Amino acid sequence: MRFLVCVKQVPESNDLKIDPNINKVLKKGVSTIINFFDQFALEEAIKIRKEGDEIIAISMGDSETKSTLMRCLALGADKGILLNDENFLESDTFGTSNILAAAIKKIGDYDIIFCGNSTLDTGSGQVGPEIAEILDLPQATYTESIENVEIGKIKIKVQTDEGYSIIESMLPLVIAGIPPSYYQPNIPPLPKIIAAQKKPFEVWNAEDIKGDKSKFGSAGSLIKIIKLYKPPKREQGIVITDEPKAAIEKLMELLNKDKVI
Amino acid sequence: MADNKDIWVFIEFKKDSIRGVSFEILGKAKELAKKSNEKVCVVLLGSNVSKFCEDFSYHGIDRIYLCEDLILGEYLTETFSSILINLIKEYMPSILLFPATKLGRDLAPRIAAALETGLTADCIELDIQDGNLVQTRTVYGGNYLADIICPNNRPQMATVRPNVMERSEALEKNQPEIINVPIDIEPNQLKTKVTEKIETTVIDIKPIDEADVIVSGGRGIGSKENFKIINELAEVLNAAVGASRAAVDAGWISKSCQVGQSGTVVCPNIYIACGISGTTQHLVGMKSSKKIIAINKDPNAPIFEVCDYGIVGDYKVIVPLLTEALKEKLSQY
Amino acid sequence: MIEFTEEQKLIKQSVSEFAQRKIAPIALEMEKNKEIPQDVIKGMAELGLLACTADPAYGGSGLNAVTAGVIAEELAKGDCTGSTCVFYLVQAAWGFLLNKYGTEEAKKEIFPKATAGDWFLGIATTESGGGTDVVGGKTNIKKDGDFFIVNGEKMYISGVREAATNGGGHITIAHQTLELGSRGMTVFYLPLTAKGITPTYIDDLGREGISCGGFSIDNVKIPKHYIVGEENKGFYIIHEGYEYARALIAVICAAAGLKSLENGMNYVKERNVFGKPLAKFQEINFRLAEHYTKLEMLKRLGYEALRAIDLEQEGKGNRFETSKIVAMSKMFASDWACEAINDVIQWQGAFGYSRECPDQAAWRAVRSFSLAEGTREVMKMIVSRELLGKELISYK
Repeated sequence: MRFLVCVKQVPESNDLKIDPNINKVLKKGVSTIINFFDQFALEEAIKIRKEGDEIIAISMGDSETKSTLMRCLALGADKGILLNDENFLESDTFGTSNILAAAIKKIGDYDIIFCGNSTLDTGSGQVGPEIAEILDLPQATYTESIENVEIGKIKIKVQTDEGYSIIESMLPLVIAGIPPSYYQPNIPPLPKIIAAQKKPFEVWNAEDIKGDKSKFGSAGSLIKIIKLYKPPKREQGIVITDEPKAAIEKLMELLNKDKVI
Repeated sequence: MADNKDIWVFIEFKKDSIRGVSFEILGKAKELAKKSNEKVCVVLLGSNVSKFCEDFSYHGIDRIYLCEDLILGEYLTETFSSILINLIKEYMPSILLFPATKLGRDLAPRIAAALETGLTADCIELDIQDGNLVQTRTVYGGNYLADIICPNNRPQMATVRPNVMERSEALEKNQPEIINVPIDIEPNQLKTKVTEKIETTVIDIKPIDEADVIVSGGRGIGSKENFKIINELAEVLNAAVGASRAAVDAGWISKSCQVGQSGTVVCPNIYIACGISGTTQHLVGMKSSKKIIAINKDPNAPIFEVCDYGIVGDYKVIVPLLTEALKEKLSQY
Repeated sequence: MIEFTEEQKLIKQSVSEFAQRKIAPIALEMEKNKEIPQDVIKGMAELGLLACTADPAYGGSGLNAVTAGVIAEELAKGDCTGSTCVFYLVQAAWGFLLNKYGTEEAKKEIFPKATAGDWFLGIATTESGGGTDVVGGKTNIKKDGDFFIVNGEKMYISGVREAATNGGGHITIAHQTLELGSRGMTVFYLPLTAKGITPTYIDDLGREGISCGGFSIDNVKIPKHYIVGEENKGFYIIHEGYEYARALIAVICAAAGLKSLENGMNYVKERNVFGKPLAKFQEINFRLAEHYTKLEMLKRLGYEALRAIDLEQEGKGNRFETSKIVAMSKMFASDWACEAINDVIQWQGAFGYSRECPDQAAWRAVRSFSLAEGTREVMKMIVSRELLGKELISYK
């Protein structure tokens, strides 16, 4: 089987600076990591991989994004593909999904497309379902684990608003994974990092993936950010350090005064 | 684009009742409709939902799109999305709103991609300006807000965060127009099916995603038994019980109570954090609560930086005292 | 600042995650228990960090000095007690020496166990009579057919308990031909579980997760394949191990100091005194700027020293330049880091003085580095010698 894993490189900390004049976040020089949920998705693919199966990690980004793909190779992916082109810049989720879908079409055959359910930076959770729609595939968001997979069919456990559901689906399928609360991402060990440097790695640009350029980048953006700003600052709270009885009295007084209760 | 009009609200159900967030979005939709002078419509999908038309006739809406069929008894992306896509293509709304629940976040992007229109996820504010729906959401872990528009495509789509908007108030009864949408999907055409459902929300645990008041416990609670102290405070306040990831991982409380980045993002009126240090991941889940009260032994705990009121002390001593004081105070009402 | 390769960046990321997840939360506890927990040692082994400079053929990761430095830096950021840093650095530096000059048999025996975290590998040249004056040491080694007999003692050695209890040993130097002085010393591997080794333990000031002690060596018999390099030529190769360790120490001191500064910075931004944050007081923020500058300089020089070692191993370097730059990098490493951490403790007031504060552990760890693997005085001797020439400046 062939599994494709879409990963995103995100800022390590969400403590970023913005340029309010152009409504953009300043990402230069900020340290980056693989999106937490995407690594989970990759690890799920590795878990179900059998002898002869291939895992390809794909990411849309700049040249720095290579690190994230190399990490995927060190974790167990067989091949990395970086989608890099200035025409891809400023893509919204729809543009990103179109670019990824075009690359996936170029790859041709696959059984499952894995993504993380959402990203830690912008967190819209839209790319997985949008790719599924563009490629006309069934989807499963909030997927926590794969129960069973065979040629053409899969059984998965998804989180719902009431708990969990077990869903059976035909393949190919787009899975958007979300880790269970006890999940700890694997740390690639040194021998695997060293071996990863030799695994196949390709860079594809807009020409390579073909697809409809009018849907990529800022040209294809369906939404527009008209303002990016800091939320109103929370006023410094009152921290009481008195003895318990006195502390409670003080707190009740404050809650009363501020009409919280 | 100029032909698109009306504001649609997708109604989500929970078991056999209307999920609270649906009324919050409806409230907002009505507010927007006044500004843009449009009709407000609700869209109902399910196997036994026509009975809810009665409820919606008390909310001053104009139209109900009723999609009722046995095949819609279970939510499936492929059934719900194909019906909605066709409905939207036929009736062309200008705005389409979903709840930012797991269902909403699964369904909305599928439809947006099919219609090649813009979608903004997890909105905390909506407004009409210059003929556009201005959608506000948090980004970068809540460090920034973004105002977003979809200038060139319709419908403008948004998923809306629960527990943020004002609920629609029940008014005098009216007669909304009811459109019965014919459903023509063969079960054997489907690529997916739900084979099992596992409920984790225990009936008598109040769900956190729509609670007004949440009392939450973290690593500092120390054990499953100690959560009793938290439960007692929650009871006095008629609050839901929440937890940090540490408490859930330790097995002291159900995952459905987990507040945080990998749990539920909540926005109650009051959030009381006991024995919670306030990791970034937890703060993302609760820092837009209207009032935050923190109780922790460690004066340097990050939670004290976001709280409105904090007490440095052992929750085992503080919380029972607080429970008593509140019991007394509330008994006066 | 040196540009890291793609591989080094990934290694840095992995060690950082490991150190933050597995070591940082239990660092102070390690000192209370006076040991590095087994799961941390095994974790380090699984990541490929232990004796990482050994050849992959023996189970090592075949890393060069700069890469070894990257690992040291991240461990120092995660471990405020410095215990795992010492555990790691002696294996990296002296593993390098063993890998380069050891016999095939010794490497096949020792490295698989060391890289798996089963055996400890350290360095033991200091004696109770002296450390700086290596030639002044009393320990001697005598050939006896296919074996060698060792007599003497070593003192103030890291990892004595680890090696004596779990297995492993130390790279040691002794006189084989006493009348030849420095030209008659031999380097060898001494297993601490051998018959005739009697360990003693010392309670030292810091890095309490790794033991400090000594041992007497009473007619200990070792097989000839434990000899490292040529007999009698030990003094000429041992400096390579010292230099490797010194350059790693420079990076560790810089990283530990910068980590403490980060703690201090977070504290002074939040803590209010007389109505404003401590950070606004010039006495605080000027000191912060000074310490930060010095430690960043130190870090760069540390990596330069590691790179010089790598270039020399590739045949592109200059022996004396390498020796000089390594000594330069270690000369002020401990002092500058101690000064910075001392101020960080001061800023935190009474909390800084309590055992709960990670910075006091860092100070105690870093303080050892003006003594370990060559004192700061030795560094000054080396540099002045390189500058003025050995006719003017000799070791006598």
